[in-house]
Amino acid sequence: MGNKKELSRRNFMQAAIWGIGGLIGVGFGVPAVAYVVGPSLKSQQAQTWMRLGPTSKVELGTPTLFTFTIQTQTGWIVNSEEISVYVLSKDGRDYIAMSNICTHLGCHVRWITDQNLFFCPCHNGEFDVNGNVIAGPPPRPLNRYEVKVENDQLYVLVGG
Amino acid sequence: MATKINQWLDERTAWHKVWEVIFLRKIPKVNWFYTLGSASLFVALNQAITGILLTIYYVPTPDHAYDSVQYITTQVPLGWLIRGLHHWGASALIILVVLHMLRVIIFGAYKYPREVTWFTGVFLLLVVIGFGFTGYLLPWDQKAFWATTVGTRIAGTPPLIGDYLLRIIRGGPEITAVTLVRFFGTHVWVLPSLLLILIGIHLYLIIRNGISAKPKRGK
Repeated sequence: MGNKKELSRRNFMQAAIWGIGGLIGVGFGVPAVAYVVGPSLKSQQAQTWMRLGPTSKVELGTPTLFTFTIQTQTGWIVNSEEISVYVLSKDGRDYIAMSNICTHLGCHVRWITDQNLFFCPCHNGEFDVNGNVIAGPPPRPLNRYEVKVENDQLYVLVGG
Repeated sequence: MATKINQWLDERTAWHKVWEVIFLRKIPKVNWFYTLGSASLFVALNQAITGILLTIYYVPTPDHAYDSVQYITTQVPLGWLIRGLHHWGASALIILVVLHMLRVIIFGAYKYPREVTWFTGVFLLLVVIGFGFTGYLLPWDQKAFWATTVGTRIAGTPPLIGDYLLRIIRGGPEITAVTLVRFFGTHVWVLPSLLLILIGIHLYLIIRNGISAKPKRGK
């Protein structure tokens, strides 16, 4: 190392060995870090619009149940998950979509037409037609999905 | 500053002496064939590093082995590189250790006082072949499954003990989840431990006895 005049054969070999060794070290080290860290930095499942069905299926004033499956992938394992959504429309123009998962402990709520409420069988949680809590332990209203209507088809935004 | 730290450390560990003994030892005038041992060691190191990395994602069960390997190859950043290095390194290592052995035979380097180095070398060869045999099953694809079917059946051919041997290797009469996980355990725990011990002795003896000079006519 140093200036060129002092570069003996021995010094040159020494520098070459360290240089090549360093390159090999980087060649292993950088891919190793990318390989280990890569999946951790991967963003979550992308948001997608899921088609529920035609708007004509929704009875005005009554929450109507739609069901669809989404596929989620964690590592190399693909899971399909069934998701149910209650869609409510009072005028046939504005739609709201509510999750059927109780905000208390995650049981499935059911629309009871006679009593005009959503009922959770686990701890007797009750929600009104808009998903607001009426009675029981649920801490907040039913979760809502973003809805859009395209060509008389209902879509909800899932994932993210 | 650096030299100060060096001195401080050297005073307490004598690492420079160790460094001298290992890397600055005198060797006779030799040729390129004498680098095959170092080349084998380098590839073995490559196998260790990439092998450790592969275990971060690989799962040795029949319902996940193949998928996790596919995940490594297609989804993990540079996973194809890590797997490729391990895959090709395996073949390279077999070739290198055989060439290394041939060099030792042809140059007569196994003779007094280096017989024990040779013995450990023979066991190292067996361990490397064991690595190849057990590692071949792990991707759990058709090739892996049938190669292991054939390989273990060969182990079943000797009279009297053959059937026991086959059952012990497979962990039962068939190739199942039990076979996969015992091949995995052997590949990542048993054989690496043996390899480490044997390489340790092998290298110690090389340094202790020095490497052999090229044989001369009439000697």
